[in-house]
Amino acid sequence: MHTKAHTVIPIQPVPYSRSRQAGESQTVLDQITKDFDDNPQAMQYFYDLFQKVYCQGEAVPHEGMLVGTTCIQAPEELIYAFGATPMRLCNGSYHYDQRGGDFMPAKSCSLVKATLGMLSAEHVIPNIGKPDLIVNPTTCDQKKKSSAMIEGLGYAVFDLEFPNVKESEASRVYWQRAVREFAQRLRTLTGKKLTRKNLRAAIAKIARAQVAFRKLHHFRQLSPSIILGKDAFLVTNAYFFDNIDSWTAAVEKLNEELAQREQDGIRAVQKKAPRVLFTGSPPIFPNLKLPLLIEESGGVVVADETCSSNRMLYDMTAVDEWWLNDMVDSLADKYLKPCTCPIFTKNDDRKRRLLELVNQFQADGVVYQAFAGCQVYEMEVKSVADAFNQAGIPMLYIETDYSPDDKGQMSTRIEAFLESLKAKKKRQA
Amino acid sequence: MNKNYFAGIDVGSTAIKVALVDEDGKMAGEHVTPSGSLFHKNSLAALADLLAQTGVQRERVRYLIATGYGRKLFKEADDSISEITANAMGAFETGKAYGGVRTIINIGGQDSKAIQIDDTGSVVHFVMNDKCAAGTGRFLDVAARNLELDLEELGEYHFKGTCAPLKINSTCTVFAESEIIGLLANGHGKSEIIAGIHYSIAVRTARLARRVGLEKHVYFDGGPALNKGLVAALQEELGCQIIVPEFPQTTTAFGAAILARNEFLAEVEDAH
Repeated sequence: MHTKAHTVIPIQPVPYSRSRQAGESQTVLDQITKDFDDNPQAMQYFYDLFQKVYCQGEAVPHEGMLVGTTCIQAPEELIYAFGATPMRLCNGSYHYDQRGGDFMPAKSCSLVKATLGMLSAEHVIPNIGKPDLIVNPTTCDQKKKSSAMIEGLGYAVFDLEFPNVKESEASRVYWQRAVREFAQRLRTLTGKKLTRKNLRAAIAKIARAQVAFRKLHHFRQLSPSIILGKDAFLVTNAYFFDNIDSWTAAVEKLNEELAQREQDGIRAVQKKAPRVLFTGSPPIFPNLKLPLLIEESGGVVVADETCSSNRMLYDMTAVDEWWLNDMVDSLADKYLKPCTCPIFTKNDDRKRRLLELVNQFQADGVVYQAFAGCQVYEMEVKSVADAFNQAGIPMLYIETDYSPDDKGQMSTRIEAFLESLKAKKKRQA
Repeated sequence: MNKNYFAGIDVGSTAIKVALVDEDGKMAGEHVTPSGSLFHKNSLAALADLLAQTGVQRERVRYLIATGYGRKLFKEADDSISEITANAMGAFETGKAYGGVRTIINIGGQDSKAIQIDDTGSVVHFVMNDKCAAGTGRFLDVAARNLELDLEELGEYHFKGTCAPLKINSTCTVFAESEIIGLLANGHGKSEIIAGIHYSIAVRTARLARRVGLEKHVYFDGGPALNKGLVAALQEELGCQIIVPEFPQTTTAFGAAILARNEFLAEVEDAH
């Protein structure tokens, strides 16, 4: 009797550049760079960065210890002051979203699933290596509950306690104490001391980045805008992982080129392109689905109120006295008081900020994205819609996730919305 | 005869609809054909069929606007526009005969929507069901197949029942299918099941309509508007009268044709 020998087929290792994660990133990056004409030359820095980091999986360098953050409420100034490097871990990949779905509830939000999916993966992209500590602010419930899961994946996690009520003095004091405890933890981690000089330098480092970012606003306030939203989102997205000083220099270079374009009368869009304010769940590369659909359909995203961009970089630390204690308190205030995250009980500030942005950027309408499963953004839609309705500003609400399968339906909605904005403009003219 | 014509082609998920209007914006012909799998080829054939039926030469069609899910595939069009804007215009024009329309309910093959328009036919606000075939034409297709009926028979059966309509609880087309099979297995009559299906769609659709705000008059179009049972259920749910046009399937194509006409006339005016 002849028996055939069983052979075990060995798994062929797939180089990162040929992985699904890389493929997804490459598709979106190609869309960003090739589907639009006349991109600013200074954007090349960012295109190359995303090409290297997301499409080729190149290692992202950092100085000192690495502290991962899962939310913008973690004061990065403190991390820099201890000679460590912060790295924002919030992830936008559909591939990681599906991976996170292996061990997280199907109804949790894509962002949280993708972030945990990435942390559970062999190739962590951006390829930052293993963070020495992950700081997880207790903001929304899903992030809160991620903490133990991230620990379960073998990471050291610090829960940074964040209040739910913004207006009360008790919250403010509670939060200031939480920030001090975070400083303590960083001290134990790095073995360094927090000094007045180092903290002041760290605040200045971030402030320089913020100034460069604010200057960029000017070119989006112009009508027609000189830079597209897809590029602006890529710029702020790079802030998540890029060396902050190189980032600031690259944004300043971009600002110079845009100033030249302004002088030369070069515009990013047609005069009548509907101007859109983007709010809600944050677009994070490669999930730039909605901003890209808006701009491919002839609209332009002129401003945003999201934690992957404007909310992350707009508000600056206001220090009265440059003493260590005052600086720490001012820092804490910066991360609490102007915050317009929907996790708070009331959202008067968010509504006010949105209306302010509509006016400052002459937006014709608003696109509100909520990731399916992101309860707080879903719950806040009604009050935000009412506020815009009262002000006579059209708003399109879209519930979606990272999967590309609803692109057809989404494009219909976005096109119809832009067509209605155009028609409204025409009537008013 | 050198009359100018304008066409709208609505490349939908289930059917391709073509409409032709003359310079006065009057409907000159309309045609409906299944989409099949070859959207582009079938769209070209649908247009050719309509031209043959009406005896209009292709070169007399001076402007053509494509709309619907497959609008981008129809490269022969002069322009494309979303089906929401086209639907609004079609209902606005058709609705003039009924004393004006402000709220539009559309149920298509794979989605349903409610649109609010202003007194110029422009879209003020719209909502759509979220990426799922619940409560759409596809849902009726599946139900008809389960009950071994033709789609056209569902409307009659709605009124035949002697018992109260059954409750269909599943919002998912796939799960609803097993629910229907379960009800049949329990010996329930077809007409009670069908009425239940219609009410289940009507409840979901009425919710969409209330979200955009109900304003007089309410207009109902799309293939499923041909189903009289569904119309009755929807009227009951909304608590108001609804207008169902003579050709509910071609409202959007007609709107695209009207927009094509307006665009052409505006361009001619610009040229002078």
